[in-house]
Amino acid sequence: MKQIWLHIIFVVFLCTASAYAQLDSIQHLPEVMLTDSKLVQFSKGFKLEKLGDSLIKKNATSLTETLRYNTSIYFRENGFGMVSSPSFRGTNAAQTAVVWNGININSVFTGQTDFNTISPLNYSEITIRSGGGGVQYGSGAVGGSIHLNDAYSFQKIDTTQVGLRYGSFSTVGGNASTTQTWGDHYLNVGVDFISSENDYDYVGKNQKNTHGQFVRFKAKVNEARKLKRGVATWNSEYSYNDRNFSGSLNTKGKDAYKDVTTRNLWQLQQKVGVFNTKGSVAHLFERYNYFPDSEKAFNTGGKANTFIGAFQAEIFLQKKLRLNGKVEYTYVDAEGDNVGENSRKTLAAVVLMNHRLSEKFNYGINLRQEFLNDFDNPFLFSADAKYSVSKNYALRLNGSKNYRVPTFNDLYWYAGGNMDLQPETSYQMELGQEFSVGKLKADVAAYYISSEDLIKWVPGNGGLWQPINISKTRNYGIEAVLGYYLKFSKRHSLDFNANYSYTKAEDLEKEKQLIYVPFHKAAGTMEYSFNYFSVYVQGLFNGEAYTTTDNSESVDRYTVFNIGAQYTLPFNPNITFGGRLKNVFNVYYENVAYRPMPSRNLQIFLNFNI
Amino acid sequence: MKTMKRIIFMTLTVLLFVSCSSDDDNQPEYIPAAFEKGILITNEGPFNNGSGNITYISEDYSTVVQNIFKNVNGSNLGNIVQSMGFQDNIAYIVVSNSQKIEIANRYTFQRIDSVTTGLVNPRYFVSVGGNKGYVSNWGDPNDNTDDYLAVLDLRTNTVSATIPVAFGPERMVVANNKIYVAHQGAYGQNNLISVISGTTVESTIPVGDVPNSMVVSGNTLYVLCGGNPSYTGSETAGSLVKIDLATGQVSQTFSFGTTQHPTSLTMDGAKLFYNLDGKVYKVDTASISLPGADIINGNFYTLQAKDGKLYAADAKDYASRGSLIIYDLSTNQQIQEFETGIVPGGIYFNE
Repeated sequence: MKQIWLHIIFVVFLCTASAYAQLDSIQHLPEVMLTDSKLVQFSKGFKLEKLGDSLIKKNATSLTETLRYNTSIYFRENGFGMVSSPSFRGTNAAQTAVVWNGININSVFTGQTDFNTISPLNYSEITIRSGGGGVQYGSGAVGGSIHLNDAYSFQKIDTTQVGLRYGSFSTVGGNASTTQTWGDHYLNVGVDFISSENDYDYVGKNQKNTHGQFVRFKAKVNEARKLKRGVATWNSEYSYNDRNFSGSLNTKGKDAYKDVTTRNLWQLQQKVGVFNTKGSVAHLFERYNYFPDSEKAFNTGGKANTFIGAFQAEIFLQKKLRLNGKVEYTYVDAEGDNVGENSRKTLAAVVLMNHRLSEKFNYGINLRQEFLNDFDNPFLFSADAKYSVSKNYALRLNGSKNYRVPTFNDLYWYAGGNMDLQPETSYQMELGQEFSVGKLKADVAAYYISSEDLIKWVPGNGGLWQPINISKTRNYGIEAVLGYYLKFSKRHSLDFNANYSYTKAEDLEKEKQLIYVPFHKAAGTMEYSFNYFSVYVQGLFNGEAYTTTDNSESVDRYTVFNIGAQYTLPFNPNITFGGRLKNVFNVYYENVAYRPMPSRNLQIFLNFNI
Repeated sequence: MKTMKRIIFMTLTVLLFVSCSSDDDNQPEYIPAAFEKGILITNEGPFNNGSGNITYISEDYSTVVQNIFKNVNGSNLGNIVQSMGFQDNIAYIVVSNSQKIEIANRYTFQRIDSVTTGLVNPRYFVSVGGNKGYVSNWGDPNDNTDDYLAVLDLRTNTVSATIPVAFGPERMVVANNKIYVAHQGAYGQNNLISVISGTTVESTIPVGDVPNSMVVSGNTLYVLCGGNPSYTGSETAGSLVKIDLATGQVSQTFSFGTTQHPTSLTMDGAKLFYNLDGKVYKVDTASISLPGADIINGNFYTLQAKDGKLYAADAKDYASRGSLIIYDLSTNQQIQEFETGIVPGGIYFNE
């Protein structure tokens, strides 16, 4: 039993080590590798926040929950479990890229990802990369990007984990996954589901959420095989969501939404002379069906297939200079009741460079040029640098040009789609400071983003809404993250994490704050552990956010607290159980006007390892 | 002891990070004794997630009150305040997405009752003969065969009968105890006027595509048809149709250009006004020739002419407060502008 724990600790350690180990990956394959290793290697001057397992598990219902409590991202959520779109550094949902193992998975139709369709439990790690990532991750990585990564290892691993969850509003969830290695093989298989009646009270309104039922199912397979001079990997996931959409305080919910996605990525890494090469092929499939009346069969839908082929070669000179060249071809074919059948081809050439000039100074330059697509092909760049002033203090600086291409809905929607649209462009700068004194870590970042040609649907003559490249915005703000770990004795420890952000996001024409961007947001978690027992309190403050473009109406600020406790059996440390009480003070709150969030509720869970 | 202090310090830090209260609700605004002698504007409200409301502007322009229904009754009207109709002292406020009609005194806006059953995407209300109201209903907007008029018994405020009608019933006018229903066509297009008498469809009169507004003058019904928009793939010209109410027949049709799609017909005296391509046009009913004279620039969500003035609602970007602009029709100059609620869509008058 103990050995298994050692393995887990070892794997976790190696994940961390490979993420921060700078330079050995060419000589030896590290024991645990990220499928998207570029994320760490070419983002030295960017802010990367990795969410640990224990943080994720505290808010495991959906990726929305996980990120709401642990980052400064604001989620515009139409009631619990409903459509949820992020605002990262004051940008909109289509300007936040979600990246799965290095591939941008934002919807072909909407350009965004609904964060309630993603289970946070399904990945080896979740990393938030703040700032522009257009060069590496393509369209939409403007405010920042969320990375869902799988890892693999050829160390001996034999773990199987099962989790069961039960909670208020008839919520049932479960997940099971197993990771096995033998010889040159690595295999990870998992399933995850949640289903909920979601019939919570609207606090103080004498109403109930009567039409918010949801089911989510996910399955994944990750496989890796060591070859003579390299590694072959396969990452695969399937997800299914079936949701009734909640009404608002003024309307009864009636509509429903079903979506299915599959994602597959095959990669072959080979060492050829001094080059480390990687060939990859990926297929993404998405399908949605929208039912205006959940009781009727009538629906409108769409489906899209995305094929990606890429080749990259990397060289590492004198343990100092890392160069990576990549060519990527993407073909998208989409068909929908409202957009007809259309396709898009893109060829992108990317050059990434990172140079460690000295122990203290590291800088990088990244370039991307696209060809073939239907727009004025953008040339994107980013430059970043990190300077470690001392053991306790480091400075980080980055600047980039990013873009977002029009979505298929923007281009082809019937009626209104505008085929003359051009990509949105944005420039940004960030200055960050990292402090670390013992177990106290802090990060303070200030950023500035200027965007133009933003696509906005506006009413034209005759009442027809059409998207045009019209608005200009300017976002700036600061973000502070604080982490502290204190071990009093062998038995007692305290873990503290908090973040705060101030966001000013202005429409330059109206000179008003953008809607659904709160000026202030703060969240914190404090956990106290004693032997096998731990207890935590989690708090979230969300400032007032405007809901109209003239800032005449808003959703109120709110503060929500959750508490939780868990216990691991001393005589069998493979079994852990516990509970959480969410919205302890039963406050009314909403993230979208007139769309209440849940009343006080309880969840219990049981996790065990086999 | 030292550890204890640290714990307390950190607990406080967490609390500080996240504490704040939120009990400052909207302050009620000044309520005049009554909303007599003035303009009432129904504001649809933001499309997805909000409540519409009603703005009052006094006849002498000295008093403007936003959100009068909520101020008086403490509750929101609901989502998409589509329109309002009247019978004597009573206002019937049609709230389409909330599937209901709120009933209030038109001068005090004290809530009297509401109709919450028997309505499916209700659009407009007219009253006939004192005891009966008619409400046009889309039914399921994706089903073109379930559209109907609900007949409201105004004594009990319940739906007493339903009359199945052609697809997409919208605005209605009453003349000689008959109801003329324009079938604009909901999310699609239609080209009919239904004539209702009692609870039966007496006849249907084909007009131009997308009849979007009507006015009655004497024995003539003027119907403004927008025509099919270009995105339908079968674009048709807008038209102005004259119907003789005595015969129930189309007496004359005037056509616009193929790509011209007029909206918001209104009438003052013998003059018709409507909106087309960012301009308000004036047409003399005595000698109709289209498009008439352009008198005012602007793209308005709705128009209402009365006593030598034109009241024009500007919905701006449909996501912020709109405005009501008042023009003097003798000079065609703007004389007033008032802020309204979000998406002002209906203009009414209290004497």
